[in-house]
Amino acid sequence: MAHLSDEEFEGLIGGQAAEPAHLAECATCRQRLAEERAMAARLRAAFESVHADTALVERIRSHLRTASSVPTSVPKAPPVIGGRPRLMARVPRWGWVGLAATILLTLVAIPVSIVLTDRPVAAAETELVRIHNHNLTPGHEFYGDSDPMALAAYFKKNLGFTPAMPELGHGMKMRGCCIEHFRGSPVGSYVVDTPQGVISVIVVGDTPESFSKTQQISRNGQTLWASNFGHCNMVSIRLNGYTYCAVGNQDVPHDILADLLLRLLSSSAPPC
Amino acid sequence: MAHRADFENLALPHMDAVYRAAVALCGQRDRAEDLVQVTFVKALTSFASYEEGTNCKAWLLQILRRTWLDELRHLRVVGASLQIDKVEVPAKDCAQEPTGLDLEAVLERFSDEQVIAALMELPDDQRLALFLTDVAGLTGDEAAEIMDVPVGTIKSRTCRARAALRESLASHAKDMGFGKNGHGTP
Repeated sequence: MAHLSDEEFEGLIGGQAAEPAHLAECATCRQRLAEERAMAARLRAAFESVHADTALVERIRSHLRTASSVPTSVPKAPPVIGGRPRLMARVPRWGWVGLAATILLTLVAIPVSIVLTDRPVAAAETELVRIHNHNLTPGHEFYGDSDPMALAAYFKKNLGFTPAMPELGHGMKMRGCCIEHFRGSPVGSYVVDTPQGVISVIVVGDTPESFSKTQQISRNGQTLWASNFGHCNMVSIRLNGYTYCAVGNQDVPHDILADLLLRLLSSSAPPC
Repeated sequence: MAHRADFENLALPHMDAVYRAAVALCGQRDRAEDLVQVTFVKALTSFASYEEGTNCKAWLLQILRRTWLDELRHLRVVGASLQIDKVEVPAKDCAQEPTGLDLEAVLERFSDEQVIAALMELPDDQRLALFLTDVAGLTGDEAAEIMDVPVGTIKSRTCRARAALRESLASHAKDMGFGKNGHGTP
């Protein structure tokens, strides 16, 4: 006797097919159908205990309000970022040499461990921490290359612009970069290893003022924005129409992060 | 803002469904929360493309899956989980010998967390197919659209996934000493 096919069973389990006469005659198929239905029902019941908690719902509501009222896009950014680009394609070498020569950023110790606290945090800050966290997560896919020119090419190809990046030296080494999403738009982020630790610099189009819970500070005549959340400190600065967010562990005080960004500022083209 | 209000009225009631799917996809609740958050922001951004009267939950789950794939592409994950839409796990016959257990009673002995954990052991493609049909209650056509595969592929993946899950739980049940009547043997 031929038993019911897998497809026939799926139709029966999904309630999209009437029970064939075969079932009345075949104990094997009846048994299998009963077990399949029991399995499906148990699985469905298991997930009924899974709910999005109210904090998540509120966070998303808040995020939606922000997303629909704040400009979020990075200019000229493509919608989806795929795999690794072909480096240096259509990019004049002298451009990267010039870029590398004009940028200086000294970075210091930042331990890697990051754990978000349970307290509510602003959605924007949460995303920045998430990006930093991803950058430091073993196995996270980012474009690993120690050559700033190669990273510049990566950004140019995927984001349509080249962010200011550090000039290497003094024990610093570029770890790599990646494209992430911030407020629904692709943004660039690069990571630098230093003798003391690692730091992420995330480049976004949004202004620091649009991040909640930021405190404006003044250093060397420049305005920066500082915040802390979870186990992270962050300092942001506007540069050439973008906001550079230096994110690191809470052990790195805001003053040090600010110094780093000011060095970036001083070695880059004049800000807009 | 009317646009956002419409979106909230239509989409937010599906928060639990999207969250459950996110848990099924990534297996970690904190990560699932991030995934859900990004999904809803993307959904709002592309809300103009939503066709009124169509299955909003399926639309959200499709965005969720694509968001998850984007996420995977950013992860250095080896194996099937990176190629969720490319790798077909070798076919396994869905038809199995009867477990020899009172399966319905045995399944009740497992906690919800244990059942979900067993689901997480399945390959990504099977896990999502099974979730979409058995948990989310979508039709084969809707699940096929979400996963960008033919409906026949959904059926075969679902069938294999349920068989593997049943086998896994039945094996655990025997290890735990559950008898044929679903009770532990002394």
